[in-house]
Amino acid sequence: MSSLIQSQLRLTLAVIGGTGLILGSIPLLFWLAPATRTFAIFGLPLPWIILGIVVYPVVYVAARIYVRKAERIETEFTEFVGRQ
Amino acid sequence: MFPRRRKHFGTPADKATYATLHTASLASPYLREGLTPAAAGKASRHLRDLLGTAAIAICDTSGVLAWDGVGGPYESNHRRDARSLAAPTLRTGRTAVLGVHDVACGDPQCPIRTAAVAPIVIEERVVAVLVAYSERTSAALVRATEEVARWVSGQVELAELNKERTRAMEAELRALRAQISPHFIYNALAAIASFVRTDPERARELLLEFADFSRYALRRGGEFTTLADELRNVERYLVLEQARFGDRLTVSLQIAPEVLPVVVPFLVVQPLVENAVRHGLEGTTGVGRITIRARDQINEAEISVEDDGVGSDPEVIRAVLAGESDSDSIGLGNVDARLRQVYGDAYGLVVETQVDAGTKVTFRIPKYSSGVHASP
Amino acid sequence: MSSAMSLTGIGLVIVATIGIGLFGLRISRTTSDFYVASRAITPRWNASAISGEYLSAASFLGVAGLVLVNGADMLWFSVGYTVGYLMLLVLVAAPLRRSGAYTLPDFAETRFESAIVRRICSGLVVGIGTLYLLPQLRGAGLTVQTVTGAPPDVGAAVVAIIVVINVAAGGMRSITFVQAFQYWLKLTALATPIFIILIAWRSGDHPVGVLQSLHGAAAEWAEPLSTAGGRDHPLYATYSLLLALCFGTMGLPHVLVRFYTNPDGRAARRTTVVVLALLSLFYLFPPVYAILGRSFAPDLVAGAADTVVLELPSRIFPGTAGDLLGALVAAGAFAAFLSTSSGLTVAIAGVIDQDLLRTRLTRLTGGDYLAVNSFRIAALLAMSVPYVAFRVTGALSLADTVGLAFAVAASTFCPMLVLGIWWRRMSTTGAAAGLIVGGVAASAAALVNVFGAPADGWARALVVQPAAWTMPLAFITVIVVSKLTPNTIPAGTARSMVRLHTPEAVDVDRG
Repeated sequence: MSSLIQSQLRLTLAVIGGTGLILGSIPLLFWLAPATRTFAIFGLPLPWIILGIVVYPVVYVAARIYVRKAERIETEFTEFVGRQ
Repeated sequence: MFPRRRKHFGTPADKATYATLHTASLASPYLREGLTPAAAGKASRHLRDLLGTAAIAICDTSGVLAWDGVGGPYESNHRRDARSLAAPTLRTGRTAVLGVHDVACGDPQCPIRTAAVAPIVIEERVVAVLVAYSERTSAALVRATEEVARWVSGQVELAELNKERTRAMEAELRALRAQISPHFIYNALAAIASFVRTDPERARELLLEFADFSRYALRRGGEFTTLADELRNVERYLVLEQARFGDRLTVSLQIAPEVLPVVVPFLVVQPLVENAVRHGLEGTTGVGRITIRARDQINEAEISVEDDGVGSDPEVIRAVLAGESDSDSIGLGNVDARLRQVYGDAYGLVVETQVDAGTKVTFRIPKYSSGVHASP
Repeated sequence: MSSAMSLTGIGLVIVATIGIGLFGLRISRTTSDFYVASRAITPRWNASAISGEYLSAASFLGVAGLVLVNGADMLWFSVGYTVGYLMLLVLVAAPLRRSGAYTLPDFAETRFESAIVRRICSGLVVGIGTLYLLPQLRGAGLTVQTVTGAPPDVGAAVVAIIVVINVAAGGMRSITFVQAFQYWLKLTALATPIFIILIAWRSGDHPVGVLQSLHGAAAEWAEPLSTAGGRDHPLYATYSLLLALCFGTMGLPHVLVRFYTNPDGRAARRTTVVVLALLSLFYLFPPVYAILGRSFAPDLVAGAADTVVLELPSRIFPGTAGDLLGALVAAGAFAAFLSTSSGLTVAIAGVIDQDLLRTRLTRLTGGDYLAVNSFRIAALLAMSVPYVAFRVTGALSLADTVGLAFAVAASTFCPMLVLGIWWRRMSTTGAAAGLIVGGVAASAAALVNVFGAPADGWARALVVQPAAWTMPLAFITVIVVSKLTPNTIPAGTARSMVRLHTPEAVDVDRG
């Protein structure tokens, strides 16, 4: 039982750590490298592209990965318990 | 009405009585759990307050259940000795007064010098003893110890009664499960048999429904299930009944999908539907119509089962719900009692009926109720 | 903009909402078919409903307004609103569903076995709900003011009255269908004008260099971490805001209620993923309004910035086309207030009814009252408190007030839920202490904010965006107090943990 909780917690912390690192480093990037604040791609400034568009698919993919792994942990647990 | 005036209430004697009653009331919830070490441990502190002695112990034949005392270096020795002090009373059931030479240890400062041992008796059997330690034992203390032991006996007896009642409920549930079967199994099997030649495919399907139905109804464990599971079983039941009655039985289900995950007592809808089928079709050759509704009422789900059959005299139903009659509506009384036991008296069945005006049975289930969880 | 057309749009939304609530219920549920029990609500429907209830005035009007005034930093609002569901997904979604709790106080009771913790949670639900309802009323006032010129009190009163009547009449139950419809209405209302503008622009009608406006004069506005709009310490403010939004979502009273509708923990997770997709889709649009507003409605920057979404269509297309689009947007905005306010009012009223009112009514009347009436009184109370607060506090930016509601939720319910779900040694005293410390700190900041925040410097930054210090404070309080009071660890902790984390497919005693 505690192994189930532990592996779920590890997964959760990994996802939070991952997204936290990505999201958290964005303001830091803007802070440390002011050039990125005005850098433009196709006429759109980089911050607008990142915050207005790119973050959403990233977050969605993170969620999909999390759900897949969490369900796999549960399936394995269910099979393991079922065998006992 | 005026709680502030309570301060000026009564004489010192009254106050002492209140204080005693209050301390007793603190101990009683634990004792109602029965004489387990955990419960006895929690109750013992309040019991010592009640007696005002240096230490108390509760022992049964297996050893010391609980100990509560002022502390001090020799306490563990006293605690160990408690079992042997308790033994004679456990055997005879007679209160014993033990003097310094039986109890005291080497330390003259130790307040544990004498003891009064009183039996805790349940159904004529000594199940444990209460040992009250003090510096000097007075007649009053012995008397008080006996009284407290008697009071504890009463509380524990109540706990047993509670367990008894739960067991009775479980037995009733088992009986209900068993009761569905013979009445219904015969008819269902007969209906299935009638299709074996004419429509073997349908007979096969019905047989599978029947298998699923009985697996659910006769499953072990769990007092609770989800409304989705319960309704699924009701649907199986209705499929089987429709095989028997054909076009004579029309059923309409109006279920808000929001309430499907609500946790309900096991077999709470099924008996009501069975009743409705019987009432809706009994005594007529026409079509019987049954409507099952489940509505979302924010914190609660409201479930109703309605038929347009012969109806009944409200007085008869009242008697059934009060448990005074064991007519054919026995399912109703059982469901009503179980709902009230789980959710409180505000959540019983509401029956609207009149002779020749059909019957509608309604009840509510809170979406969350502490201690109520579904088991698969 | 044409007020007649917009009023018609708003009127249609009101009629449709009440109509579906009162009559649609019966029609949509009538079925003579069997196997309805297998028709649990699918994650897709449920996700639409959650999104429909979640996208409030702050999202519909407020985000665009904030970005219009303060520039790129405000894009974090929509990012945070979305990422909040990712945190909810990984930290609490499945366990919370498996707990069987319907409201946050229910969870507190089942996990900590304490009436006191439950009581504290009830109070917090009412508090957070009120903070969240406040901007809804203000948004409604703004919309009606923009459309008709009537003072803001009128719009707020209209929404308050409609919501109370609708909720009290039983119309606004947790009807998934209605709330799901609201999401698609809001998305359509927000997206259609943008698409039409883009199409018209590409075909040459409006060859305006919209994107060029981002360079040139508005350069500073377009940059992140600028101090545009008078915000000091932008880096701290950004992080603090992000924390509040990410961890506040799970503590919003109307969110958990919807998770109950999921048949099991797995469905709860899948629902959350769909919610993420739907919110992401929605939040693509407010920044576009802000960018366009910068060039077509620069006068709003210094004035009623929150109305940019409402004003923009008629500014770009003078004439009937603009009026029609304006009416569509106004209707969408009104749908936003109605659905979020109704969802919140139902959630708050449910808690008031169950935890505060019913026992008292029973005592007063000797049990001689109808449960329905108790709920109706609760609904009235649930709406009148924020309405009075709205009259008292007046003009606060939409998204700012919502940000404070998130900060309070992140500093109270978030520690309780996260530690309660993942930490076995959390004690009941620790839970109560964390709720109180986090709640007092965050609501003190909120109150200071409402009644006059410090003008500038760190003091202002700390008060305007309190989550970065109140949330860790609450977590530390829970942990320290729990360590100090191991004797109040709930007796049923092991059992609770099993129930919260075991998949439904496993046959265990869930007692």
